[in-house]
Amino acid sequence: MVIETRSSFGWDRRRWFRLGIAAAAGASLPSAILRAQSAPQACGPPIPGDHAPSNGGPCPYPIPWLDKNGNHNQSPGPNVELSNIYHFKGKLARCNGFHGMGTDNKGNRLAWGTGTTDYSYMAGEYWAGRQARQGVFTHT
Amino acid sequence: MTPVTAGGLTFSPDGKVATLQMTNVPIIDQPRWPAMDAESTPAFMDFRLVLKAGEEAVRYEDPARQYRFEGLKASAQLEATFRVPSIDFTFKTDPLEASKSDFAVMGSEVNGKYYEAAKS
Repeated sequence: MVIETRSSFGWDRRRWFRLGIAAAAGASLPSAILRAQSAPQACGPPIPGDHAPSNGGPCPYPIPWLDKNGNHNQSPGPNVELSNIYHFKGKLARCNGFHGMGTDNKGNRLAWGTGTTDYSYMAGEYWAGRQARQGVFTHT
Repeated sequence: MTPVTAGGLTFSPDGKVATLQMTNVPIIDQPRWPAMDAESTPAFMDFRLVLKAGEEAVRYEDPARQYRFEGLKASAQLEATFRVPSIDFTFKTDPLEASKSDFAVMGSEVNGKYYEAAKS
């Protein structure tokens, strides 16, 4: 997200205030599918004991051709993969290109939103660690 | 991508309006993104996103990449508050009704291992 100043006073500290690039609340998600910054990884593959097979962790699997850099770096649009999760079936919505205005804590009126202001939800079943799992996720 | 907390995603009885609401979502403020050395600052976001399905059906499918999305074009509106505590900065958008988006779709998707199995 980019918030650009529209103040007539030339206030521009937030000219490139980019948020939403990294919603890193995913304590149960791998860094590979978080946008930019990682959170503690609670869903990594467990180390099996007693020579049991290792089947991977419960983290959703990223879209293979989109997440080479750990980012879902493709804007939504017609005829593109809209999900952030591979091996997924369920409800999905995706939107971007928000436009709006807002106010900071100093009273400055600022415009917010660009083509990269991108939100989604994915609610349904995904396959990870060799079993089907249920989850609701958002991309912000 | 972030797990949605219980009750964070709700649908109207007819399924045509979805509301996604979350608070204190950890994010980063990264003013110089996408520069490789762009510094980041911890920040937090509260937001409410409302999507309303329209009437026009869409279907996006790529057998080679094994995904199929079927749904409706939609409208989306967002209101949010952003906080960057370390610099004592907050930003609050105008109410939901004042925002608009360029692209929105709602529907269902199958991909990966589910793609072939869900073919009809």
